[in-house]
Amino acid sequence: MGKRKKSSSSTSTTTSGDMGGGGGGMGMACYVYPDTPATPGRVTPDVSYDRSVYMNGSMTMDDGTTVAIWGFTDTAAGQMGGMDASGDFPSPPMRVNVGTIVHTNLSVPMMNGIHTIHHHGIEPADHADGVGHITWDVNGTYTYQWRPMSPGTYFYHCHTNTVLHAEMGMYGALIVDPPEGPGTLLSGGPIYDSEAFWVVDEIDSRWHTLGWTAGTCGQDVGLHLLEPDYFIITGVDGSGTSAMNLPPISGEMKVGEKLLARYVCAGYHPHEVRIPAGLNAKIYISDGRALPTPQSTTGFRAISGERYDMIIEPSEAGNYIVEFDIKDWITGEVWGTVKTNVVVTEP
Amino acid sequence: MKRRNFLKYTTASLATVLSGTTGLIAWSPRAQAQTINKTFYVTQGTSTMIDGSSVYFRGFSSSPSVVNVPGELITDENGDAIQQGDTVNITIHNTLNTSHRFTIDGLNVNENIPAGQTVSFSFKASNYGSFHYYDSSNAPYNRLVGLHGAIPVMPDGSTDELYPGSPTFVQQYSWIFNDIDPVWHNEIRNGRTPTTPYLPRYFTLNGLGGRPPGAPGAHDPNIDALTDPRSALHGHIGDRTLVRIVNMGKADQSVHAHANHMEWLTENGQVRDEVWEKDCLYLEANMGAIDSIYPFDVPPDSWPRVSTGAYPMHLHTEMSQTAAGGYYMFGAMTDIYFE
Repeated sequence: MGKRKKSSSSTSTTTSGDMGGGGGGMGMACYVYPDTPATPGRVTPDVSYDRSVYMNGSMTMDDGTTVAIWGFTDTAAGQMGGMDASGDFPSPPMRVNVGTIVHTNLSVPMMNGIHTIHHHGIEPADHADGVGHITWDVNGTYTYQWRPMSPGTYFYHCHTNTVLHAEMGMYGALIVDPPEGPGTLLSGGPIYDSEAFWVVDEIDSRWHTLGWTAGTCGQDVGLHLLEPDYFIITGVDGSGTSAMNLPPISGEMKVGEKLLARYVCAGYHPHEVRIPAGLNAKIYISDGRALPTPQSTTGFRAISGERYDMIIEPSEAGNYIVEFDIKDWITGEVWGTVKTNVVVTEP
Repeated sequence: MKRRNFLKYTTASLATVLSGTTGLIAWSPRAQAQTINKTFYVTQGTSTMIDGSSVYFRGFSSSPSVVNVPGELITDENGDAIQQGDTVNITIHNTLNTSHRFTIDGLNVNENIPAGQTVSFSFKASNYGSFHYYDSSNAPYNRLVGLHGAIPVMPDGSTDELYPGSPTFVQQYSWIFNDIDPVWHNEIRNGRTPTTPYLPRYFTLNGLGGRPPGAPGAHDPNIDALTDPRSALHGHIGDRTLVRIVNMGKADQSVHAHANHMEWLTENGQVRDEVWEKDCLYLEANMGAIDSIYPFDVPPDSWPRVSTGAYPMHLHTEMSQTAAGGYYMFGAMTDIYFE
């Protein structure tokens, strides 16, 4: 690419929001750029992921309320996309080794809107970056080609009408391992025995009644105001006890072992993370880059899109509670708190 | 400002709000300290937002007939960044009937400008770093409504560092983020203290929101933050770019760059113990500040490897990507061009 779109009429499409049910909604979409070109520089990949989209998913909260969820399906695993389809939340993970050439094949079924996949924190060519206004939004099938070079925790999400589509749940974990594969955090760095995945997000159930085109043509649909009423961790209502004793959200380990906790600030409001001192947590990687010096931590704040990879190595058995406050981006008041735990037993 | 003049602005032509010439920062190292002279006018005006709403602003402006939000960079007469040791003479004409204040934290500047008065004062740029001027009176309202700008100061004797020994750069920019609650702005216009919860509806970078391709004003650098040359980063591989970032608004933000991680040098004026490479930076509200270097390295995960391309920088606190409750991509973002 190299140049941003120059012509308005030839690249910006106003298209019918032709979704029927499934929370996709009706309406027109503006400032989307549908296309399905061939992948520049395409080669045979080492690893492929086949993703479609679902827009009729749901998540039931601890209070019995069901909230609409959209996401990606793994069609290679037999999960079909479509207007009536549901799927996993978060979306199926991707996990690759450093240096492998990866294809992410996105197929957006007709009548399911327009979407992209942006591999957040991965830095590919712009035609593999999944940003519609720079390149295109996908209304058919497109292959993103990339080769990750830094181990760590990432995530992938839709970058079309992102403010809404990511909030609706269109994201999944993306893990890059060093050449040694899972079990090693960094080449020459720590190894670990097990993993915990702390993908912390907030949900404003009002937003989850909107259609995929909402606001794009200038309608005031309130996307400047996120008033979350549910607080989740890796797809589970985390405000009560549902995310306790639930690996791989919670941790289970013995004294002498190492647990790798992968935290993603997947929401839009900032977080305050509290980690018991007894867990002896140490941050080795943030945003997919090794810290010059690993940092011991009993907590930190985080902002949307950040990731922290921590090795946990407690010296005493116990049930350790890890908490995440979701704080308002303006007032700093706590909207809600997500909890999970790490259960440590004697060897 | 006298009542008569206020009416002139409100009835005839509330001055069009322009962005100042903040943004891309030029500099040319000098062996000798200089004396810098700068004149501002405290003015008011309105700006028409993408949804047609007219929103009130005030600015430290370059003439009595415009409203600059943010105000212009304070530079020498050649447009080059101030150097540590320079003396700065400031003259401010307050054209409004409200008093204002000109404050620079870190440079010991805090001057009152009574209504309708002209005030002159001097200060020495005794420190290097990324400083910002703002109206600290009636806080935070006068700052929020537009009375703010940047004054970068280069260290004496260094041509390519933020501070002695810092990672080096070859070009530099100033990014000033703001969020805008038009209800609050209107209350300030009418001399009242806002009483409603703060609810920003517009989000800007250097005074502008994005205009995606096909939108009114797209590709117009005076309207479109995506192409505004003061905001959009342009570079070739190796053109390490210092970005001096401040948040004049009231919402915490996540500064998210694509294609390269950012080297995180400072936080709220303090040099960090270690430089972390981040793709999301926590930018605090209420004048939180960050200095970072965007390295313009080959996008590391590209295959085949590429050296050209276009990418976004946007706030990942995604509410800030909207305008007037919708309009995704009309918020605080810009583009990054690998040329």
